[in-house]
Amino acid sequence: MDILYQLVQNTYVSMTVLLIVALGGLLAERSGVTNIALEGIMIMGAFIGVWSIQGLEVYPYSGLTKFVIFVVSVSFSVVMSWGLSLFIKRLFKKDTYTLFKKNFSQKKVIFAICALAAFMLAILFFVWLVNTQIHVQFILVMGMMIGGLVGGLYAMIHAHASIYMKANQIISATALNLFAPAFAIFTARFLQGGQQIPFSSSFLIQEVPVLSQIPIIGQLFFTRVYLSFFIGLALLLIISIIIFKTKFGIRLRACGENPHAADSLGINIYKLRFVAVTLSGVFAGMGGVIFVVTTSTEFNVTVAGFGFLAIAVLIFGNWRPSRIILAAIFFGFMRTIASSYSIIPFLNDFGLPREFYNMIPYIATLVILAFFSKNSRAPKALGQIYDQGKR
Amino acid sequence: MTKMKKMMKKFFITLKPSLIAIGFGLLIGLIVMLIFNPGDAFPALFTLLIGGFNGGLIGIGNMLYQAAPIILTGLAVAFAFKTGLFNIGASGQMMIGAYVAIYIGVKWELPGGIHWIVAMLIGTLAGGLWGLIPGLLKAISNVNEVISSIMMNYIAGHLLIFLIRTTIFNGSYSRSMNILPTAQLPMLTSIFPGSSANIGILIAIAVAIIIHIVIHKTTLGFQLRASGFSMDGSKYAGMNTKANIITAMSISGLLAGLAGALAYLVVGKTIGTAFEIFPQGFDGISVALLGLGEPMGALFAGLFLSNLRMGGFYMQTYGFVPQIIDMIISVIIYVTAISIALQAALKVYGDRLRAWFKNRKLKEEV
Amino acid sequence: MKHITKVFGTLVANDDVSIAIKPGEIYALLGENGAGKSTLMSILFGLYKPEKGEIFIDGKSVEINNPNDANKIGIGMVHQHFKLVDTFTVLENIILGVEDVKHGILQYDNAVSKIKNLIETYQLNVDLDAYIKDITVGQQQRVEILKMLYRDSDILIFDEPTAVLTPQEIQELINIIKGFAKEGKTIILITHKLNEIKAVADTCMVLRRGKAIGTVKVSDVSVEKMAEMMVGREVLFTIEKEDITPGENIFKVENVSIEGRGKKVVKDVSFNVSKGEIVGIAGIDGNGQTELIHALTGLIPLHHGTVTLNGYDISRSNIRQKYEKGMSHIPEDRQKHGVIMDFDLQSNLILQNFYQPKYQKNKFLRFDAILDNANTLIEQFDIRSEGGAKTILRSMSGGNQQKAILGREMAREHDFLIAVQPTRGLDVGAIEYIHSQLLAERKRGKAILLVSLEIEEVMNLSDRILVMYEGEIVGELNPKEVSINDLGLYMSGAKRGVSHD
Repeated sequence: MDILYQLVQNTYVSMTVLLIVALGGLLAERSGVTNIALEGIMIMGAFIGVWSIQGLEVYPYSGLTKFVIFVVSVSFSVVMSWGLSLFIKRLFKKDTYTLFKKNFSQKKVIFAICALAAFMLAILFFVWLVNTQIHVQFILVMGMMIGGLVGGLYAMIHAHASIYMKANQIISATALNLFAPAFAIFTARFLQGGQQIPFSSSFLIQEVPVLSQIPIIGQLFFTRVYLSFFIGLALLLIISIIIFKTKFGIRLRACGENPHAADSLGINIYKLRFVAVTLSGVFAGMGGVIFVVTTSTEFNVTVAGFGFLAIAVLIFGNWRPSRIILAAIFFGFMRTIASSYSIIPFLNDFGLPREFYNMIPYIATLVILAFFSKNSRAPKALGQIYDQGKR
Repeated sequence: MTKMKKMMKKFFITLKPSLIAIGFGLLIGLIVMLIFNPGDAFPALFTLLIGGFNGGLIGIGNMLYQAAPIILTGLAVAFAFKTGLFNIGASGQMMIGAYVAIYIGVKWELPGGIHWIVAMLIGTLAGGLWGLIPGLLKAISNVNEVISSIMMNYIAGHLLIFLIRTTIFNGSYSRSMNILPTAQLPMLTSIFPGSSANIGILIAIAVAIIIHIVIHKTTLGFQLRASGFSMDGSKYAGMNTKANIITAMSISGLLAGLAGALAYLVVGKTIGTAFEIFPQGFDGISVALLGLGEPMGALFAGLFLSNLRMGGFYMQTYGFVPQIIDMIISVIIYVTAISIALQAALKVYGDRLRAWFKNRKLKEEV
Repeated sequence: MKHITKVFGTLVANDDVSIAIKPGEIYALLGENGAGKSTLMSILFGLYKPEKGEIFIDGKSVEINNPNDANKIGIGMVHQHFKLVDTFTVLENIILGVEDVKHGILQYDNAVSKIKNLIETYQLNVDLDAYIKDITVGQQQRVEILKMLYRDSDILIFDEPTAVLTPQEIQELINIIKGFAKEGKTIILITHKLNEIKAVADTCMVLRRGKAIGTVKVSDVSVEKMAEMMVGREVLFTIEKEDITPGENIFKVENVSIEGRGKKVVKDVSFNVSKGEIVGIAGIDGNGQTELIHALTGLIPLHHGTVTLNGYDISRSNIRQKYEKGMSHIPEDRQKHGVIMDFDLQSNLILQNFYQPKYQKNKFLRFDAILDNANTLIEQFDIRSEGGAKTILRSMSGGNQQKAILGREMAREHDFLIAVQPTRGLDVGAIEYIHSQLLAERKRGKAILLVSLEIEEVMNLSDRILVMYEGEIVGELNPKEVSINDLGLYMSGAKRGVSHD
């Protein structure tokens, strides 16, 4: 029984990474842009994210770490202020669409308020963070945010090429995949001698207070888990709502199915796709950090093909969040078997070579894809370069 | 304009995207080097560009030796590309080809003249088989060949460790065993003494020419190109599109398998038992793109890239890590991808600049 | 709109065109394919920006940079190729772009009641929860109209609206349009169908090759005069067709059924075609013709039924075998199937034959033979292109692309020709040429199966007409004896004839 719980907990590790990265990929692909650069983006995000984590573990913080904290504070405040501005706009809701076209001064006032709020928030955060030793889980969160930020910025390169410059999406993505590890090795070696970036904290939550005492469920969900597990599930819910129930979501799906239709209705295809691909980068960056932090003790310029496995999860999940979680669980489980077969008495007795177990997730992917690709329900306009001139 | 001039003009126009891309890549590389070590940046760049010639005949010889595999993986990727397929699995196919070639080099005993030929050919076939699998999956089940060939890379990586460990393991070094001297490709040490140059480069050149002829002058090439441009059109024309996909991926695999054989049929060259996906497969992608998807282009691009890598090796004396080359190469690929839009943008800026100059000139004249 | 000029690369789509429309007027834009009518209206709708010219609404100059601007001014457009998302419902398609949102979540209630109101007022019946891919073309058009009305458009642009409708549905649409006009809405109708202009429009402007030729009051001019303005010369409306006695049956279709999307899209179809005969299949798009032809030509597999050509059973043969047994095929989608757009002309002209000894030796292509063939066909079929045999097909005009396909299919050895929508999107000159070529084929004793959505084309060319409705052949008609109205009734399923053999 204990073994079962262990297997489940191990599965969560791989599952979370696959889930989060696949959700990002979902956003991009549903808008019509293929993104096989997830692997490279994960590496980039993991590199800078884990490095920040390493920096945050040592108190008092180095100058570089303080810079990182500053960046985090600023981005967090910006996001908060953006949310605040949306809230204020809704307070004035009459005819929200034309309001801002006509009423310039009102727009300026709101902008000023939010900018000021952002500024004050940022300073507050920064001062507070720099002077406190941050709780371990919060270090993880900050690491994830950095990874996400880096991932988003890095993905913008791919987004710009494939959307605005009409580049071949596979080639552009391949360039990103090649650049990231080279950049990581180069920079790491230059700045600290070696290419590995170790960290010492253990982010594993041994027991969630109270909830872990619940029979069975406590062991299944709230013992020996990572914070990222819950974050992943939360993101699943949020993304599902966004894609199917918001204005952004329905327009996103329209762009991926029939961009000409969306364009004729005044939707800005380019902007929407750019946002979607950038977001996919944010998710991939976060996923990269989570991968390194939950599966080893150091960053070593690899994410074991998880970026590509996430795409397989996406295809297997038929581009729908409800199926993607199932696919992520399946692949996560395959990976768990690969790394934990020695503790499963049943499998251990087979005496299969360990390399075979390593191959299982990839072979499983091929088999699944072989059965699933025939009836795939990919977004219709996926991978096609959008050209306004074509009718 | 004379015909010669016209041809030259056309040649340069087609080359323009590649040249621009290379220019950008080198520029970015230079900037990075300037940031990290301004003093040595320019001499390092110079070393980079000269590449193999830095080391005289040895350098050139090594450059040629290393060029052969990436020319072939470049051909592999380009061939698949012509047919409309992305073979990102060239690495895996090369790895399988290399293993099989080494195995025959280690375990079989054949007379000197034939041993290496047999090892090379069977290694090639093995690569072909490895490429056949994603081809089959695509033709029969419509599995995206990008993902399937990437998976095949990882499977090959792990499989290789197992195979080496159980069949040709050299325990003292944790690597594969050395091949017998009879299995080694004939060397070119008479021309390039002290280097690893072998007839691999000659084979690569010959194969490039053959592939070029196949693609442009045969009925097979006609069919494959038709499928590459329009699956529907080739179906309407009565071509067997499924067979075409399978053929294309298999031939692509054969080429990558040959790359493996050419790289590893050297006494003393062994494969390690730590997980690895050969980088030459990815270099092949760069080579194919730089070569604009044409076989002859891949030939020259392969030589160029190998030279660049050699430059990266020699550049280490300035304290720069060879990963700079990978970064430069990825920038080159990126720029190739956006080349059309970039050319248009450059033209716009060029026109504006020209107009500005014209205006100034007019103002001066007034 | 004044002095509008729009250029796409080297093509001047609109050349200094000025147009003035009054409110409540039904205004027609007449011109051949490629004359610039759609471009002009796309500018009005904000899809394109003109190089020169201005737009005035109610005397005020306006800038229309995107469809949203157009919507705000009250301009709406029903496009020729529907801009609908297949996987969304009708409701989602209508509200897309102008969604109601509360706390970030989409709200549908207001939209639903407003749309239901519109449906009742204008009799535009359609199921709001149905998916676009499941409804008929006529219903899809109603969704497009509802899109406009939902956005409170007062200026409604219709781009070739009747191409996909039965004669009865066309009449319904005409009534709807007249209803809009009575309410004071302004209608702009883009079309090349002269009869419809006569039936509904007040004023008509003729465009030819991007230039405005003239504006006329519809009640004052004849159809012939409008046609002449459109083309620039006198147009013959009737085709000279000799009486030919058909020869033996060489193409037989027996009990063919095809399943798709969970139901039978072709139900037990049987017919045959004889030498020297043109059999026309008439019907509204979406009644199984496409699937039938795809199965007959091998683009999709045929599981139920038999197809025989010259005595050979070709039901399960692959496409190459069908060609070898004497079939030629001018496909419906010329750019997707008929040619390889990125190949050059000479390669396209041997697309199906390249493996034959004439064109290859030991698997090496014989470029001299290929070039000769291309030059012969270029001469014979008047295929015009910038670079001759080496021109890349993508740079050729639609008409010349079709002539290339036509030439290839007719010159190759064959006994039976299937021509699907052979004149779609072509100008009058090309249409006349292709029609005369088809009749020449007929005279040479070939068996021809013609599938077309243009009723006049079917009537004029066919010796026998088969009408397809919902996957079945519902009537076999003699074009000399049946009226267009009757044909329309068959096509909409209202009338059925005796099934024959």
